[in-house]
Amino acid sequence: MTVIESMEAGVRTSPYVSTPARVLDVEKLTDLETLFVLEMGHGRALDHRPGQFVQAWMPGIGESPISICSSPTRGRAFELCVRRVGEVTSHFHRFRPGDELGVRGPYGNGFNMRSLEGHSVVVVAGGLGLAPARSVIQYIIDRRDHFDQFHVLYGTKTPADVLFRHDLSLWRHSALMNVMVTVDRPDEQWRGRSGVVTKLFADLPPLDPDRTSAVVIGPPVMFKFVVIELMARSLPADRIFCSLERRMKCGVGKCGHCQINSEYVCTDGPVFTYERMRSLPEAI
Amino acid sequence: MTGRILSHAELIELIDLLGASRRLIGPVRRGDHYFYEPVAGAARLALDAPQCVYSPKSFLFPPEETLLTFEKESGRFVAQPVLHDAPIALIAVRPCDIHGIRLLDHVFAAPPGDAHYEARRRQTFILGMDCAEPCRAEAFCADMSANTAHLGFDLMVARLAEKLEARATYAIEAGSETGENVLAEFGRGRAPGAVDEAARAERAARKRQAFPKRLRCDVDELPMALQRGFASKTWAQTAQRCYSCGSCNLVCPTCYCFNIRDDISLDGNCGSRVREWDGCQLRDFALVAGGHNFRSDPAQRLRHRVMRKGRWIQDRTGLPGCVGCGRCDGACTAKISIREMFNALAEEAGHDGD
Amino acid sequence: MKPRIAIFSLTSCEGCSLAILELEDQLLALLGGVEIVNFREGMTERAWDIDVGFVDGAVSTPQDEEEIRKLREHCRTLVAIGACACLGGVNTLKHQQPPLEYREYVYGAGAKWFPTTSARPLSAVVKVDYELPGCPMVKEEFLHFVKCALTGKQFRLPADPVCTECKKLGNLCRYEKGELCMGPLTRAGCRAICPAYGSVCEGCRGLLGADAVAAAREVFPARYGVPFDRIADRLRLYGAYQDDGENAISGVLQPSR
Ligand SMILES: Cc1cc2nc3c(=O)[nH]c(=O)nc-3n(C[C@H](O)[C@H](O)[C@H](O)COP(=O)(O)OP(=O)(O)OC[C@H]3O[C@@H](n4cnc5c(N)ncnc54)[C@H](O)[C@@H]3O)c2cc1C
Ligand code: SF4
Ligand code: SF4
Ligand code: SF4
Ligand code: SF4
Ligand code: SF4
Ligand code: FES
Repeated sequence: MTVIESMEAGVRTSPYVSTPARVLDVEKLTDLETLFVLEMGHGRALDHRPGQFVQAWMPGIGESPISICSSPTRGRAFELCVRRVGEVTSHFHRFRPGDELGVRGPYGNGFNMRSLEGHSVVVVAGGLGLAPARSVIQYIIDRRDHFDQFHVLYGTKTPADVLFRHDLSLWRHSALMNVMVTVDRPDEQWRGRSGVVTKLFADLPPLDPDRTSAVVIGPPVMFKFVVIELMARSLPADRIFCSLERRMKCGVGKCGHCQINSEYVCTDGPVFTYERMRSLPEAI
Repeated sequence: MTGRILSHAELIELIDLLGASRRLIGPVRRGDHYFYEPVAGAARLALDAPQCVYSPKSFLFPPEETLLTFEKESGRFVAQPVLHDAPIALIAVRPCDIHGIRLLDHVFAAPPGDAHYEARRRQTFILGMDCAEPCRAEAFCADMSANTAHLGFDLMVARLAEKLEARATYAIEAGSETGENVLAEFGRGRAPGAVDEAARAERAARKRQAFPKRLRCDVDELPMALQRGFASKTWAQTAQRCYSCGSCNLVCPTCYCFNIRDDISLDGNCGSRVREWDGCQLRDFALVAGGHNFRSDPAQRLRHRVMRKGRWIQDRTGLPGCVGCGRCDGACTAKISIREMFNALAEEAGHDGD
Repeated sequence: MKPRIAIFSLTSCEGCSLAILELEDQLLALLGGVEIVNFREGMTERAWDIDVGFVDGAVSTPQDEEEIRKLREHCRTLVAIGACACLGGVNTLKHQQPPLEYREYVYGAGAKWFPTTSARPLSAVVKVDYELPGCPMVKEEFLHFVKCALTGKQFRLPADPVCTECKKLGNLCRYEKGELCMGPLTRAGCRAICPAYGSVCEGCRGLLGADAVAAAREVFPARYGVPFDRIADRLRLYGAYQDDGENAISGVLQPSR
């Protein structure tokens, strides 16, 4: 057996052994966030669902859970958008095309996209939340005729924090969807809207509450207010899907770090309906 | 009646037979206390040890273990899992600890199975030792229905005649095919007779009386009592004393949380990933990058542990999250007692219901 | 180029110096060509360019103070090692005695020739980049630190108390023997060496945080009948200066009321 073969045997035996993934491309998105295009060393697709995440490993440094920010409908390569906040993520930012990191996953439940079919979909994202939301958005774009109205509402603190500008401008000019972007604190150059993301709800057309689903991903403060808006439009709590973050070590429901009350975010989540979240006092 | 009756000498022989092909681990006396330790032969064991200071979980789930090693070369890496599967026999495991191991089995076997735990567990023979009376004042195993085990062992021994150890007799039963095979291979002892039947019935009757009720609610009522008490003042009141030291977690036979860290060689070319015990009472357990701590208050952490032990684990696995062994009470230098917390919340819930 | 490491001692006991001597040999064996500049004999007038300067001992004399300021200027990274350098260490005991008495005790009849200031940790005088506490400091932690410095890994002190290491080792808790151990309040990293050898932890690696101290104020009087001030006296043995940066706890050991 070659070393690589025995390693692949290891992947089957221990859930903590990563598979090598190669960096194909690197794109700086903001001062803090960088997009990495990756491909698994074995050449097969990740076979993920929008909203799932991987454990990205820098051997000797550490491992971090990172959402897959591309849709499975886009081929074998997959993308991660990484914000530099600490040791592992800083190390990640040093990666260049050709470098190899370890990847375990995909993990988590992800969004059940089939259950959204036939519905109008409102995606509300705040800050880095656009990364996981982007996998949902790309998926809907690629299967556009399966969905009714499609709205994307995105808010960041400042114009400098806006992620995926290239995507946003493409989406904005596409007839497939309605995209609205706002920043909390605009600067002189900012031509778009300003204020918190909930202000964008005023411009949403009427939605049929029985046939609309919402995808909400962002910082905890955002959830509270977005959910109020959605409930005001009579969206049922079990049609509001949120993605949550916690500390994670194993990613496979063993280490206990990601618990919210009785739930394990890595296996029961990271996607929870608002209905479920309401029964978890520590969720928001 | 199934099983066999063994004399003390025969039991020692049986354990040595197990030890012929496995590393023996059982209770050893150190001063006034007992610890599970590897021994060369059964004669070294304190078979009548009440409860060991630590549960035998460290032999299945070590406090620190290397999960994998890796090598790096020119931007690429190769990683190899590290698995240990040397056969061991855990001797004189008490019912509470058997229930604890069953929970670990459940958690680590849930897909994707934890190969590291499973490799050890598959090679582990468990010889249980039933309790006829409570081992300590803090134990409430009977209240948690954990002072008897019907599953989760290969052999189970109950000491019948409680006189001098050397003259004691033991009823032994198999709980697995491996256990049955070992008994058959051993071939010693005798089939139980009418006298043994009587002795066993008498022991069972005595056992029923011997465990006082130490929980002020039924084990079935506990989850609801805890749920109702989620916003109780008890958490903050009790947590004023809590050091967040994690001792209660680390001594608990049903605690399985862990951390994983990377180690690297000086030249940066090879290293390992190591897992180590962690605990939800420790301050930084739910801390994330950027400094946000999802349970920053000691009261939140105390509540989290107690809710898990009394309700959430049961909800998730159908197995008790607390086996009532009382070790956390004993280990808490701040004298915080999970049993007293259960009782306080059960009482509050009772008053609510009135 | 190999990093230049310097080791320097201010006022301290033999314990840390010995550990450092041992470490120098280990370091040389480990790192081969690493350049170790030893300043134990005192500062000379040559120009220094030091990557990592390790300093043990408390700042106890005006000379100490002058030297630590100089060292700070010449070291890119300054690391305090041992309880004295991190917390003031056993040197701070003299705060509890009249000045002349301790000077006589330490320096004999010539005491009046040795004016000393109060013993302070390095951080009371200069900016310290890292602290490796313990009395003596923990050799393994020192080596781990050097490893982190060389491989670019982030160095973090353990954020858990000594009890976690004690339990992982399977020790019998000293409280079972009726002894009051400071493990629940103290930062881990020493592998619970004192309980492992049958004595209590005296807190030489410093307090873990304000929460644990607040708990101790409740626990000792109410559960053990021991006034907190007596516990605080014990914790002061290794240093009255306790400030872990992220969670400022200096002052928590002041007598209650
Ligand atoms: C489901 C999920 C999806 C995510 N998706 C993304 C994404 O798409 N993009 C993205 O950029 N981020 C994402 N994150 C967040 C990302 O995982 C963290 O930012 C990252 O793990 C931080 O690691 P670090 O080593 O850079 O930070 P560090 O702060 O160095 O943390 C290293 C590890 O230690 C822990 N830690 C932090 N501080 C301390 C301390 N003081 N003491 C002890 N331990 C500490 C951390 O929790 C982490 O486990 C996601 C998180 C989750 C749970
Ligand atoms: S806690 Fe109960 S089951 Fe466990 S050893 Fe004590 S008496 Fe036996
Ligand atoms: S919670 Fe306490 S009593 Fe219950 S099993 Fe764990 S250590 Fe034993
Ligand atoms: S052992 Fe006691 S003091 Fe320590 S964390 Fe547990 S409850 Fe708190
Ligand atoms: S001996 Fe000390 S350090 Fe060890 S568990 Fe007991 S209190 Fe903690
Ligand atoms: S056990 Fe306590 S006193 Fe002993 S070395 Fe560790 S921190 Fe210092
Ligand atoms: S990350 Fe380990 S249980 Fe969820």
